[in-house]
Amino acid sequence: MIEAYPSLRNRCAIVGAGNSRLGQVPGVSSLDLVIEAIGNALDDAGLKPSDVDGIICRGPDESYSHHQLVGERLGVNARFSTSLDNGGASQILSVMLAVMAIEAKLATTVVCGYGRDAWSRTHRSEEARQSQRTRPESQHAQEFGPEYGYFGAVAAHAFGAQRHMHEFGTTREQFAEIAVACREHALKNPDAQMKKPLTVEEYFKARLIVSPFGLYDCSLRSDGAGAVIVTSAERARDLKAPPVFIRGFGSFNNLTGWFADDNMIRTAAKQSGDTAYRMAGIGPADVSTAQLYDCFTYMMLVQFEDYGFCRKGEGGAFVQSGALRMGGRLPTNTSGGQLSEAHVEGMLQIVEGARQLRHTYPKERQVKNAEIALISGHGGNQVCHSTLILGSTP
Amino acid sequence: MSDAASERKATKPRPRPAPESKPYWDGARENRLLLQRCNACGQFWFPPSQRCAHCLSTDFAWVETSGRGRIYSFVVFHRVYHPAFENDVPYVVAIVELDEGPRLLTNIVGAKPDDVRCDMRVRVTFEETHGITIPRFMIAA
Repeated sequence: MIEAYPSLRNRCAIVGAGNSRLGQVPGVSSLDLVIEAIGNALDDAGLKPSDVDGIICRGPDESYSHHQLVGERLGVNARFSTSLDNGGASQILSVMLAVMAIEAKLATTVVCGYGRDAWSRTHRSEEARQSQRTRPESQHAQEFGPEYGYFGAVAAHAFGAQRHMHEFGTTREQFAEIAVACREHALKNPDAQMKKPLTVEEYFKARLIVSPFGLYDCSLRSDGAGAVIVTSAERARDLKAPPVFIRGFGSFNNLTGWFADDNMIRTAAKQSGDTAYRMAGIGPADVSTAQLYDCFTYMMLVQFEDYGFCRKGEGGAFVQSGALRMGGRLPTNTSGGQLSEAHVEGMLQIVEGARQLRHTYPKERQVKNAEIALISGHGGNQVCHSTLILGSTP
Repeated sequence: MSDAASERKATKPRPRPAPESKPYWDGARENRLLLQRCNACGQFWFPPSQRCAHCLSTDFAWVETSGRGRIYSFVVFHRVYHPAFENDVPYVVAIVELDEGPRLLTNIVGAKPDDVRCDMRVRVTFEETHGITIPRFMIAA
């Protein structure tokens, strides 16, 4: 086992968090959305663009050197700047890299942000709607996939769900509870894309997409962006907002592939989480709220197991106990998550985790006595994983 | 519908083999499921590459496999992602683990989607369409 570097525990803090308009935001590019979120995060922190000397972003998949475009819009020449390429695991990675850059004295105040226009771009033309693709042609499989009618992330994750159901007796009723709980959380979030309640009956009546997944197992196509500002814990004390301490982080990448070994039912969240727990000096029992990468209902269920909130194979029972609801054992995706708030590839999970630890929400949205938030990112053809643990106190 | 979309509707996507994969597709044309086996460590691997995926040796041979294995997992496509599959839904896409070890993405044919289960034994079957032969799998008796 690799020992984490515990001296990075609580060395840095998130001092500002922001999101753009979410959901259907026609006529606004993903770049404009991320600038909107960064502006809100800077306001939250009481900082100006000229205070920023680091930018770590991820652009749309087809973009090149996206951080440069962000810097141009902000009018910032950065001491440290790059764009990341780990899919949905990138956004936590940007916070990890920010901490490392600050510790290495390469930067003092780093903007981490991500934005996308997935709703707008798939509604722009008939051609786009047919293909529902957001990836450039160069990333499409050339063989061993399309000739079998295999397309898209839904099917990739549905393979995992099917195997999990086979090995552990997991059911669609359990997936339904995740979809319904996330919707309930979203209804308390005025920014959320989904505004109507969802029932278990509606979950089962909805059309199948790639079974075992139906419509409500799938996350949303959203326009939206999120951003956070990271600085040293020392500097954070002088700023406007109460700092949220970056207590631990980790990552793990099953680069042998989603289809290899049991990677689809024993995900990289396990090793990533263990690393983050060691840095943070805590275990699963200490976590007050989780903000998990819920591209599909199943991914939330399997992460409850891999992060040690329950035993392997017991994710279904854990979910059915009501654990992820407000007031449950582990309120999870309390903003509605990617299933019901907006799918911004894990960036809004970081924003929500930070906000919960500041205790500024109205009572119905606030996790009581929240002290530790565990946040996850998952992506890069399902094999890259990252974990962030935040604390309300150092 | 745009020209690009109607053109896609005409045919299913054909595999566009990488140079390393040519022997795999040539074998399929002869109804043989060939995979690379390493002469140094003896293991099979997939997808094709110029070095063994286990020990990086360049000493390998293309070997005919048993064409038998089990379904590791499968999904059923209900949604039409590509217009050429409009008449095929619902169809089964599976990950088949060959007895030789490697896992292949494929279709399960000759069975109702509702009858397919993980860990079922399967055997390869070949079908030629539009000048290319694609290995698919059937439930083994």
